[in-house]
Amino acid sequence: MTPSPMSEPVFLILLSLAGHPRHGYAILRDTQEMSCGRVHLSTGTLYGALRRLLQDGWIERFREEDNSRGKQAYQLSPLGRRNLQQEVNRMKHLTQVANLRAVRKET
Amino acid sequence: MQALFRCILSLYPSAYRDEFGEEMMTVLMEVQAEVRKKGPLAQAVSYASEAGGLLRGALLEHVRTIFFPRGIPVFSERRLTMRSEFRFPKATVALMTIILAAVMMTIEKAKAISQSVPHANPPVGPIQPAHITIVPTFLLAFVAVCVGGALLWGVLFALHRSGMQRLSDLNSSAGPHSRSGMPG
Repeated sequence: MTPSPMSEPVFLILLSLAGHPRHGYAILRDTQEMSCGRVHLSTGTLYGALRRLLQDGWIERFREEDNSRGKQAYQLSPLGRRNLQQEVNRMKHLTQVANLRAVRKET
Repeated sequence: MQALFRCILSLYPSAYRDEFGEEMMTVLMEVQAEVRKKGPLAQAVSYASEAGGLLRGALLEHVRTIFFPRGIPVFSERRLTMRSEFRFPKATVALMTIILAAVMMTIEKAKAISQSVPHANPPVGPIQPAHITIVPTFLLAFVAVCVGGALLWGVLFALHRSGMQRLSDLNSSAGPHSRSGMPG
């Protein structure tokens, strides 16, 4: 079954957590950097998305030895990684089709 | 500004605040510390953006808590996935197959019977009404209801009268006995 496309902020958040666990602020900076400053998430939007992703089991809280500074890191769950991979494949396919059609149009 | 953010955070549902409140406050402070270096304009834009995001988030969380307590999936995948409690049990499928086979066999049997005796029952065409009978029918029904109502009222009235008469007879016949039975 092909799932419907995910929103760009969710995609970027998952992508940010794909490498290693990150805290909220690091996710904000990373999403901004990945989108070349185009996507600027506010803290409220970020935590709304994190709450939904936690509830759906796409991300997990990363257990740290010291999280006394009010910081909590998050990491991708296996389900989240699988869904992210599906989305990347979907986008890859779409890009290939777009490339083919654009090239055919030019020639 | 910290007080303003705390004030907006207090608008979130308490469960959400308990789970993410302090963490969000830490991130907000980190964002503000970074923006402070970029000048007053960037700072004002950031404040407005963060305050707007928090207000929107608080509103969405309340809506979610009220209308979608089980959560809205990020993908619509879950809506399409058949969960175990909605699966047909195998016995139902087997029973439905048996019923379907029985119906098919009955139809075939009926066809065979009708072919073996083709002219036993001549076809009857659709019955056409000779004239329009709807208005007299309604009038007749109305009259019948009126007559029925009058008859019912008459019966009830007669019963009431006879009941009252019997009661008065009972009282008049029981009167002397009761009086004589009672001590003076």
